[in-house]
Amino acid sequence: MTAASAKPMSTSSGEPRWFRPLLVWRVFAAVLLTFALIAVALQRGIVLDGPVRWSLLVALLGAVVGAGIAIRGTLQKVHLGRFAGFTIDLLLMVVLGFIALNRMGMFTGVDAVGEAFNGNAAWLAIVILGWFVSGFADKAGGNQKILKQVAQWTMITGMVVLTVAMGLIPGLIEFATRIVEGDVILFAAGAVIAGVFARILWSDTAARLFKTTQTEGENMDGMLFVAPNVLGFLAFFAGPLIVSLFISFTEWDGLTDANFVGFQNYIDLFTDALFLKALRNIVIFGVVAIPLAVIPALLLAALLNSKLPGMRFFRAVYFLPSIAGVVGVTLIWKQLFNSTVGYLNYMILRVTEWFNSLIGTGWEAPQPQWISDDSIALIAVIILFVWQQIGFNTVLFLAGMQSIDGTLYEAADIDGAGPWRKLRNITVPMLRPTTVFVVATSTILALQLFNEPFILQAPSPPSGPGNATLTPVVYLYQNAFQEFQIGYASAVAWALFILIFGITLLYFRRSGDEGVLTS
Amino acid sequence: MTTTTRTPEEQARREAQAKSDHRRKVGRTILGRGGAYAVLIGFAAAMLFPFLFMVAAALKTPEDTFRYPPKILPRTAATAEVAGAEVDLYSVDVPDSGTATVYLAEPSVEAGLFVSLDDPEVTISWPLEFATDTGSTTTVDGETVPIYSVQQGFETVDLALTRNTSVGRFVGLDDETIETYAVVRTAERAESIDPQWQNFSDIIELRDFDRSLTNTILVTILVVGGTLFTSIMGGYAFARIRFKGRNALFVTYIGSIMIPFVVLIIPLFRLMVALGWVNTLGSLVWPFVFNAYGTFLMRQFFVSIPKDLEEAAYIDGAKRWKILWSIFVPLSWPAIATLATFMFLYAWNSFIWPLVSINGANSDDFVLTIALQTLGGQAGEGPNLIFAAIVLSVIIPFTVFILAQRYFVENVATSGIK
Repeated sequence: MTAASAKPMSTSSGEPRWFRPLLVWRVFAAVLLTFALIAVALQRGIVLDGPVRWSLLVALLGAVVGAGIAIRGTLQKVHLGRFAGFTIDLLLMVVLGFIALNRMGMFTGVDAVGEAFNGNAAWLAIVILGWFVSGFADKAGGNQKILKQVAQWTMITGMVVLTVAMGLIPGLIEFATRIVEGDVILFAAGAVIAGVFARILWSDTAARLFKTTQTEGENMDGMLFVAPNVLGFLAFFAGPLIVSLFISFTEWDGLTDANFVGFQNYIDLFTDALFLKALRNIVIFGVVAIPLAVIPALLLAALLNSKLPGMRFFRAVYFLPSIAGVVGVTLIWKQLFNSTVGYLNYMILRVTEWFNSLIGTGWEAPQPQWISDDSIALIAVIILFVWQQIGFNTVLFLAGMQSIDGTLYEAADIDGAGPWRKLRNITVPMLRPTTVFVVATSTILALQLFNEPFILQAPSPPSGPGNATLTPVVYLYQNAFQEFQIGYASAVAWALFILIFGITLLYFRRSGDEGVLTS
Repeated sequence: MTTTTRTPEEQARREAQAKSDHRRKVGRTILGRGGAYAVLIGFAAAMLFPFLFMVAAALKTPEDTFRYPPKILPRTAATAEVAGAEVDLYSVDVPDSGTATVYLAEPSVEAGLFVSLDDPEVTISWPLEFATDTGSTTTVDGETVPIYSVQQGFETVDLALTRNTSVGRFVGLDDETIETYAVVRTAERAESIDPQWQNFSDIIELRDFDRSLTNTILVTILVVGGTLFTSIMGGYAFARIRFKGRNALFVTYIGSIMIPFVVLIIPLFRLMVALGWVNTLGSLVWPFVFNAYGTFLMRQFFVSIPKDLEEAAYIDGAKRWKILWSIFVPLSWPAIATLATFMFLYAWNSFIWPLVSINGANSDDFVLTIALQTLGGQAGEGPNLIFAAIVLSVIIPFTVFILAQRYFVENVATSGIK
């Protein structure tokens, strides 16, 4: 290609002028990936140990093969070349860009923003207010233009002040200067080049050059759109999941090398008195707590489903415990459970006294030590769980009831059925899918019980008096983060997962409703 | 052959029957409604009481939170200004005028501990100036003691003096003529309802609670925003773009919703260690902006949007990117709001993961749940400050809930029935 070329977009042979640089880049990327493959294959280290190293090797091997295919396809100018090249460039951009940004402290920079943000939240409130008002002006329609403009200007001013007050601009400049530190610039440059070529390969010109068909084009579109999600899913979900399974077959303290021990961890679980105690606790908990959290919810939902006034208010009130957050709610209940000055024991006392005066008995009011008595500690957790869960389940049931065909009730009315019969013969059978879902989610939540005992028992160990509130997740937490038996803790996690999976499957199999599974 | 002729009596009987039926039915409905409301109100009270208790306890003094029997409203010992000086107020029984609010006028008056002649269990401390020796004696607990004639209000009774003591002289706050005597140490303090608003500023200053609040807001904004972005992109791809492996990937995504988070805690923590994100807010944000449930929710909504809408734009040469943000997103506000509320609650209230990944002693990277847990686990702080902190932590979720109740409920409904 010469400087005197008349057409800016393509050379005389019909190739766009980016074609030769692309070829160079293809070869360069292939060489780069091969080097990376060799480097990882030869290097040994704690971080790269075990499944992480193997999956990295497999990924790099795939990338090298893909790079070869991309070179060949680019030379032949077929779609495969475009597709493979685009995929590699996209991944290189993400991976190199991630490394560069991580070295620059981009991802951990939330803390710095938090520090700068602190005390300036009022400006954010102004921005949000402006946004609300402008949205309101939109909805109101008509002659609300001035209101909308005022709101928008408030929003912009708020944003500007917030940016300045937070020192966002000097912060960003400082952040940007980190790019020249050490090898960050290499990663950043690699990411930018890969990004540029990915953009070029994405263009319509490239599509024409590589003779991409519409279906093939759609494939690339789909890949690009799911890419952010799938990459994150692989990095933070699927990858860790596989690693977790691998760790569960090892004996590992998190510092030294892991020993592969096969199924030993799982075999040990069956004879571990503490794990069995945790299972026993969780089964007792589930058998008591789930019916208590589900059956009253069904009745409450049936009452709320009437057309009586005030039902929206009750629904909102019942939902509050689900909004408030488990830590705050548990701390409130911890005070209510207080055995000497708590309201619960006080109310028990008053109710007993009232009974005694009513029927002339001399019962003594029980004043249990809700949190520190090993025979009662689990009951306290059950009370708390049921209190939190009932409202949520009620709203679920209510939603299910409102989707039941109203003509069924009309037919029942004609037949002279009363409210109780309608509940028994229409609502309950029609609600079967919802019921299965409610019971299943309650069970899954119950099996993962951790927060309530942890917070109720603090600062004592969460396993409670005499391990009364030891649950599988508490046991997992203690093993992994206090005893540093990470392999064993992973086995606990997988055993729990298998249990949850089995129970879920059982519920949905029994319900015989395929539609539920898709949610 | 029988014909249904109605005699007047029968007619009347039937009418009466119908009337009583109707009355019974109405009665039953009213009874039923009353019963329904009673049940609903009962449960509502059970749901609300802990929150009421929370607000009240947040406004109490530390001593007031340990009071027995417990009282809801925040109370403090009352004081008043009398003759330029601040005095403590007491609530005492005054002979002849019931309970009165009084102040301590004279802390130490010479008095005697008198015992009733009939019942040695009944005692009273009363100033000696109102007692005159009768000269006779009696025996109490084996000791010979003098009998005094003691004047109490308008009454005069004979009592045995067992020993000398001192009492305080109390004068009525409003009515100076009220005057009584009682042992100061055991006199009941008068109380006034006095919310301690400074508990809120105390907790913010003592514990950098504002920093935790800021951090939580920031993490929540980023998680909600990030999840919306990736879910909208992914949901659109699954709903509208036909690409290889789409169905297999989608099934994998749905399956992954069933996997409990506890399975991921350990490897995710190791990943945070490897990336250097432990003890940073980033560890609470970035792993959680990729959400299978959100992708599923958006996909379900996008599938229901009619295809003609985008086809017109497509023919005009608009790219998918533009179609997505200018056609799909504006039409999907209900689904977006539903997902946003779901993620908001999740990010705001998540506990076990911050507990693992923010394990340092540095409170600068605390989020509310961790700050609350740390506070609750310490014996040092009074419960009133802990409750003030809880109130601060629920204000924003409750406000958002009141504003966007519809979407919260819809979120629950869509997760259950689809």
